Amino acid sequence: MTQTRRIRICILAALALTGAAFAVSLLVGKYPIQWDQLTAGGMDARVFFTLRLPRSCMALLAGLALGAAGSVYQTVFRNPLASPDIIGVASGATVGAAAAILLFGSGVLLTALFAFAGGMAAVLLVLAMAAASRRRDMLGIVLAGIAVNALAQAVLMLLKLTADPERQLAAIEFWTMGSFADITLEKFLGVLPFAAAGLAGLALLRRQILLLALGDDEARMLGVRLESTRRLVLLLATLVTGAVVSMTGLISFIGLLAPHIARLLAKSSRFSVTVLAALCGSTLLLAADILARSLGSSEVPVSIVTSLLGAPFLFWLLCRKEEQDG
Amino acid sequence: MKIKFTALALSAAMVLSLAACGQSASQSQSAAPASGSQSQPQSQSASAPAAVEEVMPVTLTDAAGRQVTIETEPETLVSGYYITTSMLIALGQQDKLVGIEAKADTRPIYALAAPELLELPSVGTAKEFDLEGCAALEPDLVILPLKLQESAEALEQLGINALVVNPEDMDLLEETLDLLGQATGSSERAHALMDYNAETEAEMAELLADAEKPSVYLAGNSSYLSTAGSKMYQNTLIELGGGENVAAELEDDYWADISYEQLLAWNPDVIVIAADADYTKEDLLADSQLAGLTAVQNGAVYALPSSFEAWDSPVPSGVLGIRWMASALHGDLYSLEQFRQDAADFYKEFYGVEIDTQLITQ
Repeated sequence: MTQTRRIRICILAALALTGAAFAVSLLVGKYPIQWDQLTAGGMDARVFFTLRLPRSCMALLAGLALGAAGSVYQTVFRNPLASPDIIGVASGATVGAAAAILLFGSGVLLTALFAFAGGMAAVLLVLAMAAASRRRDMLGIVLAGIAVNALAQAVLMLLKLTADPERQLAAIEFWTMGSFADITLEKFLGVLPFAAAGLAGLALLRRQILLLALGDDEARMLGVRLESTRRLVLLLATLVTGAVVSMTGLISFIGLLAPHIARLLAKSSRFSVTVLAALCGSTLLLAADILARSLGSSEVPVSIVTSLLGAPFLFWLLCRKEEQDG
Repeated sequence: MKIKFTALALSAAMVLSLAACGQSASQSQSAAPASGSQSQPQSQSASAPAAVEEVMPVTLTDAAGRQVTIETEPETLVSGYYITTSMLIALGQQDKLVGIEAKADTRPIYALAAPELLELPSVGTAKEFDLEGCAALEPDLVILPLKLQESAEALEQLGINALVVNPEDMDLLEETLDLLGQATGSSERAHALMDYNAETEAEMAELLADAEKPSVYLAGNSSYLSTAGSKMYQNTLIELGGGENVAAELEDDYWADISYEQLLAWNPDVIVIAADADYTKEDLLADSQLAGLTAVQNGAVYALPSSFEAWDSPVPSGVLGIRWMASALHGDLYSLEQFRQDAADFYKEFYGVEIDTQLITQ
């Protein structure tokens, strides 16, 4: 079986799985929707179109975004542990969300806006610091990321210190656990353009991303304007991640896990692996959200599910890989 | 400086464009600062006569500044907050409840006054509200705390009426009572409860007018080295109950942690332990660091009872906290027996239950 064919089969299978997970996601929920009433415009239709469908679409989009961004990060950094978190998206977004919770209380839209601004600001700061430094390789970005992460942690601790422990502190903590429970149509539509623009940009830059993966010298020799391209790719991947997590709160593990699964399945590092990673991310996240809304009598934060399922899965992948190597 | 300004302008522009996207969101956002959560309900309650006629439809301004129109008296209710659930029992609306907040089994007052509530489906917590589960109950009216404002707007899109309340201190509690009374057609009972609160405050003020005020240290929920400063509800409670809060100098609006040294320096006449404390009176008395305190040596360490509701928090029966405090601080003027009788009368009148007065201790 040629590699192209293998990837094509994998992508088709992943598409089918994602579609199935999406369908199940539409079917599962606390409200017993009468499907024959869907066109009647009553409560069944309203629940479906303002809650169930947007929530499922959001999980689908978030999975695509986190999977693709994770894959791009791992490719560009040439490191299987790279994720948007290492250059400060998550911690920046958390600082933004915490600031919004302290300043404005409960508004999800303002929290999302601040989280998005915080995540982007952190990444811009990292890229600016890396550009100002004398290092011209990836390590410069990683080190700047560590510095900005530490800075963000300090700010976050300060914010938490001033927070009212029962309400604000709890709200901040819950934000970092992620949830799709309060996604409605307008929130999904608010995220969609940013995430779609970022994903489209990444798709357009697919050739450059692959060249970046070859290493600095090779990429330069093949005519890639190394630093500006790298910056643009990282910014786009960040845009995608930031747009999603600013609305849902932090979602752990999907960005790390999905690319690994995709690489193991496809045994290749082409751009189509990023597509596969995006689909894997969607399937995983849809499954996690289905569990999150049906495990208990009330909603469970989605990151608990993704981490709980993701950790053993990653371990299994590790063991499996070792067997193959040995 | 310039960068800061640009960032500010940018974020402002984004806020505007986002607000313009969601119509219902922009409505509530623009309405909130204009009407304010306090002014409207107060003016309504001021103009309302003592015996209120039930008028439906009624349009209310809720704590989020949203206009909520209730066409007919709701027959099914969902309450997403323990304070409003307890309030609805006091208003005699418990039979209309079809869903309540999570962890109902931790509220002794439900088991006591409305055990059927424990069987109701949960609609989640203030952190994770279950929109679909709530919609499935098809309630006529949903009552939510301010932190669930977003969920209220989502419910509105589903065509479910939702009222946002914010009962975080005694004044706001009365506004909430007034709102709920009007929304459920039980204004008369709401006003009876509000009158009872006003009478209690007046009665205690008269009784304690000439009494000497002992200094009181209120030991907080998580540790007896945490306490309530002047901005907290508990401070009002101590003052209305005829005491002086040793921690009044603290400006925190939440439980503040203090040191042993600070407590020894304050050396209060009386120590009162919060109702939801995670430790017992015995734990505090057994702490050798505190053995030298006047309150400990005189045996003036009291614990608020926890068998009904936390009377040191803004709950509908919170007014009993004032009476309890008075009985603990000024037993010669207002005895424990008298308080037990008054508390029993309160629960009989507003919750329709006979309580075991022996559970009321100091």
